[in-house]
Amino acid sequence: CHTSGMLTPNGKEYAQKIPREELTHLILKLLQAWKEPLSHFNQHIEHHQELPDDSLSKAKQISNMVHELKTGVEKVTEKMQSMGIISNSLNGMASSEGTSLSINNEANMMSDSDFIHCFRRDSNKVQSYLKILKCRIVPENSC
Amino acid sequence: MKQRFISSVQIILQLALTTAGLTGQSYPGKPKIVRCRSLEKETFSCWWKPGSDGGLPTNYTLFYSKDSEEKIYECPDYQASGPNSCYFDKNHTNPWTTYIITVMATNEIGSNSSDPQYVDVTSIVQPDAPVNLSLETKTSASITYLWAKWSPPPLAAVSSNSHVYHYELRLKPEEKEEWETISVGGQTHYKVTGLQAGVKYIVQVRCMLDLGEWSEWSSERNIQIPNGESPPEKPTIIKCRSPEKETFTCWWKPGSDGGHPINHTLLYSKEGEEKVYECPDYKTAGPNSCYFDKKHTSFWTIYNITVRATNEMGSNVSDPHYVDVTYIVQPDPPVNITLELKKSVNRKPYLVLTWSPPPLADVRSGWLTLEYELRLKPEEGEEWETIFVGQQTQCKMFSLNPGKRYIVQIHCKPDHHGSWSEWSPEMYIHIPTDFRVKDMVVWIIVGILSSLICLIMSWTMILKGYRMMAFILPPVPGPKIKGIDKHLLETGKSEELLSALGCHGFPPTSDCEELLIEYLEVEDSEDQQLMPSHDTPSKNTKMIPKETDSDSGRGSCDSPSLLSEKCRESRALPSTLQTQDVRAVQENKGAKRSWETQCIASEQKTLLFSNENTKSSTWPAVQLPPNNQLPVFAYHSTVEAHKIILSTTNVNISPVLVGNEEKHQSQYPITETVQHDNMEKQREMENSKTEQITVQVKQNRHNDKSPFLNPKLMDYVEVHKVRQDEEPTVLLKHKDNNGKTEKYTVPGTSKEYTKVSTVVDHNILVLMPDSRIQHTQVSQEPAMETSQNLQQGQAEKNMSYCLTAPSDCKRETSGSEYMDPSSFMPSFK
Repeated sequence: CHTSGMLTPNGKEYAQKIPREELTHLILKLLQAWKEPLSHFNQHIEHHQELPDDSLSKAKQISNMVHELKTGVEKVTEKMQSMGIISNSLNGMASSEGTSLSINNEANMMSDSDFIHCFRRDSNKVQSYLKILKCRIVPENSC
Repeated sequence: MKQRFISSVQIILQLALTTAGLTGQSYPGKPKIVRCRSLEKETFSCWWKPGSDGGLPTNYTLFYSKDSEEKIYECPDYQASGPNSCYFDKNHTNPWTTYIITVMATNEIGSNSSDPQYVDVTSIVQPDAPVNLSLETKTSASITYLWAKWSPPPLAAVSSNSHVYHYELRLKPEEKEEWETISVGGQTHYKVTGLQAGVKYIVQVRCMLDLGEWSEWSSERNIQIPNGESPPEKPTIIKCRSPEKETFTCWWKPGSDGGHPINHTLLYSKEGEEKVYECPDYKTAGPNSCYFDKKHTSFWTIYNITVRATNEMGSNVSDPHYVDVTYIVQPDPPVNITLELKKSVNRKPYLVLTWSPPPLADVRSGWLTLEYELRLKPEEGEEWETIFVGQQTQCKMFSLNPGKRYIVQIHCKPDHHGSWSEWSPEMYIHIPTDFRVKDMVVWIIVGILSSLICLIMSWTMILKGYRMMAFILPPVPGPKIKGIDKHLLETGKSEELLSALGCHGFPPTSDCEELLIEYLEVEDSEDQQLMPSHDTPSKNTKMIPKETDSDSGRGSCDSPSLLSEKCRESRALPSTLQTQDVRAVQENKGAKRSWETQCIASEQKTLLFSNENTKSSTWPAVQLPPNNQLPVFAYHSTVEAHKIILSTTNVNISPVLVGNEEKHQSQYPITETVQHDNMEKQREMENSKTEQITVQVKQNRHNDKSPFLNPKLMDYVEVHKVRQDEEPTVLLKHKDNNGKTEKYTVPGTSKEYTKVSTVVDHNILVLMPDSRIQHTQVSQEPAMETSQNLQQGQAEKNMSYCLTAPSDCKRETSGSEYMDPSSFMPSFK
């Protein structure tokens, strides 16, 4: 996967240990890393005749959701920073890293099945990180 | 010349012979029957071997005959069994005969036949060899067996499967020469023991039917007996699971061990790395498993896992198994399942089910999010109802039936990839039947109230049942005669009744008349309560004769039919009676009274009004329509207080009539209300008072009591005005048998002549208008009115007159004024 190069905590303990800012940053990085490949993928599979129609719409839907998720996480991050829950140290790093060309090229070279496999994994990562982050920041009933 | 020809022919012949001798053509050689065989005793075939063919193409024919017969048959089928064969199918095969078979070879030159062959089908049975021989070695408990399996020979011909074969098996090691033969019996498989390990064996099998010969041996099969020592089989990895997304375990299944103990090793490598690791923990999770603890568990990386089985002979590696721990999470079932019964706002109980996530799952940190699902069914039910609960750890169930037992189970799964856990152990719920005191109280109250109501209703029914029934279904009013004891009527003793009525004989005598006259006391009706005494039966005859032509169905008294021959039942026409009474009075001396009523109806009712519902007669007031043609005579008699002769006469007469009456309906002529101006006739009756006399005639209910009057109707036709200067009175003169009526015009106010002043000349009734009563029209209703007015005028409350409405009758009859005959009864006599 093109995001394999990123250092991400591989287990629960690691995810709980790293500082919250780093975790947030990581989430944003991941989401950013997928933005471009997803759109490319959508373009790519539009030409596939054999795929059923809902696959195409689903793919579009997924990329929209990722984008919205990223926006949401950004907003939450800003809020958290303003509230002082997390520091502002890593603020500027999120956007720049994700758009490096090499990553994008690598993403474009993947086969469709690999692409989907990688996306599945990374989305799971993001989900787990977000949950942990949530419970770290706002430990409520559901945590 | 000839000689030359002959010699040339000879030469030619010789040449031909020589040629023939040179080529060697001759008749065919003798064929020989090689073999005859039957596969299953239902068909058989014979093969022959041809002899020399003599150089020329040879035809072979097979002839056969059966031992007991002379006839010779030819072979039915030369093709089925191949060349130089003859196939006898089922139809040509008879197992119990001996066939004599010969084969004849024929060619152009001559023929030759074989020696005859005697064939008995049963003795030539030889099945084919068995097929599909398979061999297998099995090792168990360090002993190796050989499993041999085969199939019976296929049958070319269609035959039943009832053939029972016997089999024989033989085997020998490859290098040896001697066969070991084993008799198998009827099975198509056999287990051979006692074999040398590591030796290659050759196996064959043959079969036989009940009679006949053994088949040929089947083709050979080789089998190598295992040595007992061989490399193990390849193990297989069954599954890998993580219970809490932090550790995971893999299980595998070993293959056969090849006779020696096997050692297993699990090797894995991670995605992106070359290094191969060995399983960190073989023990924790049990035999044939590998447990990866937290340190060795990495997420979002793919593990490549293989298992190697090793024994003394060698080793074998399983297929690789790729696993990403994130996707193999299967949690434990939830724990701490508790049930609580709560009552909601409207007193309905509901069940609250709470549970906890499995202990290992770390839900608190959000690392693992579980979703729950529970299922329940009634204890006796068959199908589970599955409810997806989501991430909450409690559930409220409202839809349970009280009094039943339910079984509940819960399981969970990670919210993302993963699989469902096992179901938790069964939990039994018992819903208590809700037995609220409040409900019971309500029901008890309802029960008591309803029983009370029932009691009350039945009580009222019993007490006032009659009245209610009467209210609902008004009884038919019966005649009520004052002075007549109902009981007397009921008992049916007419004599007593008659005596009660005070009349014995009929017609009444003149004494009665005198008495009548004497008793003709007319009182002021207004002042008096003309209530008859109930003790003495009294009878009032009241006539409200009125005649209208309209058929109102009221009664004959109202219609002209009264006067006509047609009589209707229950017409008590007081007029008639009155007439007669008048006459009687008039006659005064016991003159004959010829009561004539024109009534010819079946039943009679005389002066008595019929109070029966069916008989309704309107008794209009005295008033008559101007166009009324029939002279009517109407007079009213007061109540009992007034001992009016008429009434008494009536009374008198009535019993008489009753006695004599032949069931004629009496009709009362309706007297016409004569207008005041025109005519006045006056009949003077000896009245003590010139009061309105209302004679009310009450009809008896009973027929025999009824008619008081003769059937003949007394018509009072002539009306003369008399004494105009004085009180105007109307004189009605009776016209015998004169049904004609005269029209009376009444200029001026019409008055109702309701008062009888006198009776004159035995047939003239002098009427006086009742000033108090003013009638404007005559009709049935007005009859009512008049009667009512009369009533009012006379202050008679309960004037009884028959009207169309039976109720009125009834009302009237209920004890209005009646003459009391008894009071003057003795006076009669």
